[in-house]
Amino acid sequence: MKTIVVASGKGGTGKTTMTALFAHAAAGTSRIALADADVEASNLPIALMAQPVSCEAFAGGSVANIDPGLCAGCGACIRACRFGAIYTPGEADPFTPFAVDPWSCEGCGACAYVCAVDAISLEHLQAGEACTATSTVGPLAFGQLAAGQDLSGRLVTEVRERASRLAEESLADVLLIDGPPGVGCPTIAAITNTDQLVAIAEPTVSGAHDLGRLADLADRLGVPVAVVLNKSDLSAEGADQIRAMCRDRGTPLLGEVPFDPAVARFLGQLACGIEPGTLFASSPGLKAAADAWVRIAGSLELARA
Amino acid sequence: MTDVDARPITVAVASGKGGTGKTLVATNLAWMLAREGRLVTLVDCDVQAPNDHLFFETGEAQVTEVFVPHIEVDAERCTACGACRDACAYGALRVLGSTVMVFDELCHGCGLCLSVCPQLALTETPRRIGEVRRADVLAPGALVLVGGRIDIGEVRSPEVVRVARERALREHADVIVLDTPPGVACTAVASVHGADLLLLVSEDTPFGLHDLRLSIDLAQELGIPAAVMENRAGPMAEDPSRSMLETLCFERGVPIWARIPFDRRIAETYARGGLVLDESERVQRALADVADAMWRQVGATHEVGTP
Repeated sequence: MKTIVVASGKGGTGKTTMTALFAHAAAGTSRIALADADVEASNLPIALMAQPVSCEAFAGGSVANIDPGLCAGCGACIRACRFGAIYTPGEADPFTPFAVDPWSCEGCGACAYVCAVDAISLEHLQAGEACTATSTVGPLAFGQLAAGQDLSGRLVTEVRERASRLAEESLADVLLIDGPPGVGCPTIAAITNTDQLVAIAEPTVSGAHDLGRLADLADRLGVPVAVVLNKSDLSAEGADQIRAMCRDRGTPLLGEVPFDPAVARFLGQLACGIEPGTLFASSPGLKAAADAWVRIAGSLELARA
Repeated sequence: MTDVDARPITVAVASGKGGTGKTLVATNLAWMLAREGRLVTLVDCDVQAPNDHLFFETGEAQVTEVFVPHIEVDAERCTACGACRDACAYGALRVLGSTVMVFDELCHGCGLCLSVCPQLALTETPRRIGEVRRADVLAPGALVLVGGRIDIGEVRSPEVVRVARERALREHADVIVLDTPPGVACTAVASVHGADLLLLVSEDTPFGLHDLRLSIDLAQELGIPAAVMENRAGPMAEDPSRSMLETLCFERGVPIWARIPFDRRIAETYARGGLVLDESERVQRALADVADAMWRQVGATHEVGTP
């Protein structure tokens, strides 16, 4: 089985839409399983009209809590905290000498360790949930992180483990991962140990800049990169910049998908029961996306089911 | 300025979904306010994909490196007792044989391991994870760009954001515009925390609406007033019976302050790295509406003078 991750560096270049199109293009010839690794804004289940089967709580870190009844007001905690998470409410709450800002607290426990009167406890948080779903193209794992949590990388890993189990159970040829934007923890967790990163680039100065950063990260992690240029006709100058970048880096450019309103309509039309094959043949944007998938599959020598 | 409150007004331009137009709005809003005569600092908090610098010619940048502590283990002193491992909430320390291994990518730099080590075998050395660049765009201090950038392979984005925001406060601007990363996790929260206002750039699409809900949840949990700026608005955007965005914002009690229509020319200018403000009257009007609403909104906490 091959694992392909669709990512971009810059947000909003069309990762999720392209992942859904690839999934429909692949479903004709391969058995696929899917993972939505954007656990901060999970949209692949919407794109695939997936039906959730089961969700499990994903345990997160901790947050400190100071019991004002026990606090002696010595201030050891505020000196121990390196995250500026402990503050003095002052007039706002005159009976609480010190309090914790949960949005700044990283749950390390340094404050609890130094508290001489054991007034500080650490409370466990739920960081989000990891879910399994079904869709017409294959089984899907996804997750949603609770607001402000810092375990997005670990939740992505949990989602990928779920997706791998789904892929094994369904004897899939391909695990297709819809990646997060950026080059941080969640992206590292999403692209590590995959067979191919397909970077969805847009022909803008921002798109080129962020594609470069993503490609640098993939190089460090030893993941091969290929590029699909989306909205390719939006800017001739921008498109040339992406093409030149691919040439200079020796990165294969596996497709150029023009801006085409039919791409946005595709998912809705599928819902009305129109065959994906008919739709792929119906517009230049959709045809280009399907062609890009054929080249991706070809480059990985995907077995035909 | 006649501000009685010396604290700058801080507006965070945010969205759950990527690519909705945060950078477009943040760069053009900062530019417009600065031209009106306000002292503006634009902070690029999207440290993983920083793009604001691509839209401005700037003077020479001052670079501040961002460091986090790296734990060094003195093998002579370490007895591999495991106290540091047991204390670490992040699993960044592991006992291997007769010593301790440190995993930098898991370490949050809290320093607790140093405190609990009975042998005093641990020390900290600085380790670089990124940088913050500060540059003047217009006359010195009129429009300042402070951009955070995390090194490739590093994961502590919130720390780079924190240093960038601290650097921005030293500019004594009237207005700080924060261009924030997509999402709702730690880096997004570090970017918007403490702002006076969240300007949520949104689009009326199924993905856009789903992610806007998450952003509104976050704003409400953080207790920051939020308003929406619709981007790529279609012809039906102002018809409440057709606009899903309008319905959602009404249900959640979040005002829509302005709309930027879908216009290929705006996209083309943005693609080149240009500011669209001078090319599009619609964008100008939308941003002026946002600024007016902003002064009304923050008027309760800040005395806003006319420049």
